[in-house]
Amino acid sequence: MSSHAKKIFYGIGRFLLLTIFLLFVVLPIYWLIVTAFKTAPEIINAQEVTYFPKTFTLSNFNELFKMYNYWQLLKNSLIVSGSTAICITLLSILGGYGLARYNFRGKDTMVIFFLITQMIPGILVIIPLYVILTQAGFIDTLFGLFIFYLIANLPFCVITMRSFFVRIPYSLEEAAQVDGCTKIGTLLKIVIPIMFPGIVAVFVFAFIGAWNELIAGTIFINSPEIWTIPVGLKTLIGKYDVNWGVLMAGGVLALLPTAVMFAFMQKFVVEGLTAGAVKE
Amino acid sequence: MGTLILYLIVLIITSLGIFLWMRDRTKHHRPRILTNKVKSKLEPYLYILPVFILLLLMFGYPLINSFVMAFENYKLSAPNDIRFNGLGNFIKLFSDSDILIVIENSLIYVIASVAGQFILGMTLALALKKKFRGRGLYQSIVFLPWAFSAFVIGLMFRWSFNGEYGVVNDLLLKFGLIRERIAWLGTPGLSLLVVIFAMIWMGVPFFAIMDLAALQSIPSDVYEAADIDGCGTIKKFFSITLPYIKPTVIMTLLLRTIWIFNSFDLIVVITNGGPANTSQTLPSFMYTRAFASYDFGLAAALGIILMLVLAVYSVIFLRITNYNKAGDF
Repeated sequence: MSSHAKKIFYGIGRFLLLTIFLLFVVLPIYWLIVTAFKTAPEIINAQEVTYFPKTFTLSNFNELFKMYNYWQLLKNSLIVSGSTAICITLLSILGGYGLARYNFRGKDTMVIFFLITQMIPGILVIIPLYVILTQAGFIDTLFGLFIFYLIANLPFCVITMRSFFVRIPYSLEEAAQVDGCTKIGTLLKIVIPIMFPGIVAVFVFAFIGAWNELIAGTIFINSPEIWTIPVGLKTLIGKYDVNWGVLMAGGVLALLPTAVMFAFMQKFVVEGLTAGAVKE
Repeated sequence: MGTLILYLIVLIITSLGIFLWMRDRTKHHRPRILTNKVKSKLEPYLYILPVFILLLLMFGYPLINSFVMAFENYKLSAPNDIRFNGLGNFIKLFSDSDILIVIENSLIYVIASVAGQFILGMTLALALKKKFRGRGLYQSIVFLPWAFSAFVIGLMFRWSFNGEYGVVNDLLLKFGLIRERIAWLGTPGLSLLVVIFAMIWMGVPFFAIMDLAALQSIPSDVYEAADIDGCGTIKKFFSITLPYIKPTVIMTLLLRTIWIFNSFDLIVVITNGGPANTSQTLPSFMYTRAFASYDFGLAAALGIILMLVLAVYSVIFLRITNYNKAGDF
């Protein structure tokens, strides 16, 4: 095969592959969205499955808003996820920087410790934390949930941040220090601006991790006023027959914020993970 | 109240100390309180200690608690009857008639999901490596499942695989692949398959993003050199690409295996372990048992076992793959 033909051959193969992946991802999402806009009789129709709503309706969303104070759920989710993400980002910058830039006694042990935290089944932390939070009066509060999300997402974020720092050449910092910058000055003026994509990536990791968590939420939170979105939606299934239309409408609304956020940030995520390596 | 306040105080003092230290350093270029040598030795700890102390307290204390609980008769429904009962929880666990099938399910679930995610994720990353028009947009869509909650993904697949009204059955019927509707979630074996499918769907982006980032950080001159030496595509893949991204691959495989092994929200949402425990895995089993009867002792016992299994697995995995740069991914 000539090299030109080969190139075309590869190009077509890649195109097909990418198309298949696209369909693989999009079809289930499409089905979720389409169901959310169908009427109840159309959803539960064993004779005919429709691929586009025959009668387009917003009734599922209306019903959802009637059952829940959706803005309250949204607000709760935003408060918990936002504060978790901010705290994690700050702590990860410090921790990641320390792990990346220094050699010190106990460093390996610390890295292994971070790895071990990943092996702990959530339940082993959730149950005692439940008892502690109850004693402390923080059960059934957003603060209790915040504590759990903070520690649950922190190890991965620190390790990820560390790998971002490792990829930025140390020579840049040295140059700044030679010019009379202090360590913290260097961190603030040189490192963090270069690290921007990485920092955004870690923020997104932490935010999404907290936003999507369900199990701890259902265990720690009882009062409807402080339900987060997944905890609220969970109450839709179980008790009676599943109302798929309302459930899918709730799903669309739950996914929308993180989906939009991620669509804008995914560039930074990949960039953050690769940053620096190019220029080393 | 006491324990938590103590934690917070320790935390605040530590962070305050670090803050003052830093301010001190920014003010005076050469502070004279401590010699520079001692200072530079202490420096790294100042960055890491807030994180480390926080995690040590918040993981350590609950973990010790759980460990004690595992050997206790600890039922939240009977708070006055909490007492040491030796290996009672472990015996109860292993005398459960379903435990073997649950272990088997866990293995199938983890191996199939990790393998599926890894292969597809790697393929996607390789396909995305070269720039093309609209790649940014394409990535924003294809990586989306990564930002989705397991709960909603679970609902989505539970609805798609619905036996009566599901779109999957309808499509298979239309394409003539099946003759009558399949009760996916009501058939032993098939229900676990649906869970695995959903898990793969959810996890492909993680591998793809990590692998893609690793691929993009391979310097292009290495490939150019290989081209000059007349290397073929396959040879380039095995002697350049793979060695370069090996640390990423090992670390993502390890982390992902651990996470999948411990995750059970998809199972709870899609099948709730059914029918008759045929899609139950160890963690979901632990969850349903613990919160159906509030038997925290039993849940803690199983949790401890899971953790030990994962620790042994990690050590063996890192040994086999010859991975010696801990945490470098």
